[in-house]
Amino acid sequence: MAAFTDDIFFATIPELNAKLKAREFLAVELVRAFAQRLEQLGPRYNALALPLTASAIRRAKLVDKELKRDRTRGMLQGIPFGAKDLLSTAGEPTTWGARPYADQVFDYDAAVLQKLDKTGAVLIGKLAMVELAGGGGYNIAGASMFGPGLNPWDHTRWSGGSSSGSGSAVAAGLVPFAIGSETSGSILTPAAFCGITGLRPTYGLVSRNGAMALSWTMDKLGPMCHSAEDCGMVLEVIAGADATDPGSARKSFYYTPQYYRQPKDIRIGYAPVDFTERVDPSARPAFEQALAVIRETGAQLIETRLPDLPYGTLTSTIIVAEACSIFEPLISSGKVDQLADPKQIAGLKAGLEISAQDYLKAMRIRTIVQQKIRRLFADVDVLLAPTRMGPAPKVSEPLDHRATESPAPKDPGLSALIPAGNLAGIPAISLPCGFAGGLPVAIQLAGPAFSENVLLAIGKEFQTRTDWHRKRPKLA
Amino acid sequence: MNAKITRRRLAAAALGSAAVVRVTGAQATVPPEDINGAAKQQVRKHSETLAKFDLPMSTEPAFQFKA
Repeated sequence: MAAFTDDIFFATIPELNAKLKAREFLAVELVRAFAQRLEQLGPRYNALALPLTASAIRRAKLVDKELKRDRTRGMLQGIPFGAKDLLSTAGEPTTWGARPYADQVFDYDAAVLQKLDKTGAVLIGKLAMVELAGGGGYNIAGASMFGPGLNPWDHTRWSGGSSSGSGSAVAAGLVPFAIGSETSGSILTPAAFCGITGLRPTYGLVSRNGAMALSWTMDKLGPMCHSAEDCGMVLEVIAGADATDPGSARKSFYYTPQYYRQPKDIRIGYAPVDFTERVDPSARPAFEQALAVIRETGAQLIETRLPDLPYGTLTSTIIVAEACSIFEPLISSGKVDQLADPKQIAGLKAGLEISAQDYLKAMRIRTIVQQKIRRLFADVDVLLAPTRMGPAPKVSEPLDHRATESPAPKDPGLSALIPAGNLAGIPAISLPCGFAGGLPVAIQLAGPAFSENVLLAIGKEFQTRTDWHRKRPKLA
Repeated sequence: MNAKITRRRLAAAALGSAAVVRVTGAQATVPPEDINGAAKQQVRKHSETLAKFDLPMSTEPAFQFKA
């Protein structure tokens, strides 16, 4: 059996694929090594919801048989991965990270898992998450039946949410890639805090069949990986039309970095205030350096800002109203009290009082948001901002701790890009761009609907010029 | 009445409360009625923000969820 070192555990998908093709090791050896590592180290970060080692090894043996006959299915064939525990897996518990659903079992696999299986990728475990993907609004890292997501870079820090386990498992080299979900920040935030690359696709590009619904009009599934290129490869597999998802955009995605425009032809909108006054002082050098790297690519940097709209109010009203409709039986039965975060419990109960008038008003203002964001992209091709304004918060502190501490600058810049981008259903990528106090920080790029290839191309260019995405945490 | 507490019980009690503080942080000390009140207040605050926003009558709710 091959000896697996950190170079394998932190390898990108093309690197693992090349080694599998060269028969340096078998798929079953690779899968076994990752599965053992996930089982051993996953609990250390509260990242593991459910190991699927036995079924993974069986699947990997079939992949090896195919590879032996030179029957290839693409770059993901034989590559292990993890999935956020809001994706159903037939016959296995799918908890949605919440105690009231601890024993829930579906009899079918989520569409994304079926697609990954068809291409030969091997699911080795379900990954922990914030309960109900944070529905109702959470304020503690411990808002999960699996405990607080711990950051591989520092155990006293949060891994981010709600795709907590997906973020920390990729960052710690427990899986080569993971599937996360985002309603408003749940892929980008853990990607930024854990120092990995995360992609939030355009609304409807990836089928949500078999995924827990939090907000029908805002939920998206996407890849969390070691690099932008990996995200492109995974997205190509999981994207596509699906008649069983009413939100499906009925579009496919082909990762075609070879056809993208040269950086000098790309106009990038940014707000200087986001990289100076708004960010945590400890993270400022990293963000300034990232901006300098983007400038070096030859891209045209154009100052811009988001239209002044109540993004926070809109996302909260829409998500909570939809979540309260979805989870009405949980709330009215009183089982909601089994959730870990008192704020989330209260948020879900209070959400039942959101009026139809307010929900519709929020959805009407959302139309304005979409129109204005579309207009913004007449002047720029993509928007650039820090993903989060600083590194991961301490696990022991309320998550809004920092927000209450520092006064906000007058110029809002692009600080609301995460809620605005999710309301508009546009894609975004988070790229690690350095460290602040030993913790990763990241930039995000957002583009118009279906501009994933542009974002991935800029991401790849950025990662050609930097090596932040190759940094590995020292695992205690 | 014997109020003697064994060292084992004391340690268990201390560990238990430490775990609560670690996991729930500052909210552990907030009474539930305050948390519920704050959540309702938040809904009202959002409602007021929405009410203040003037919209043309012709603006329909978003039926497409991507810009």
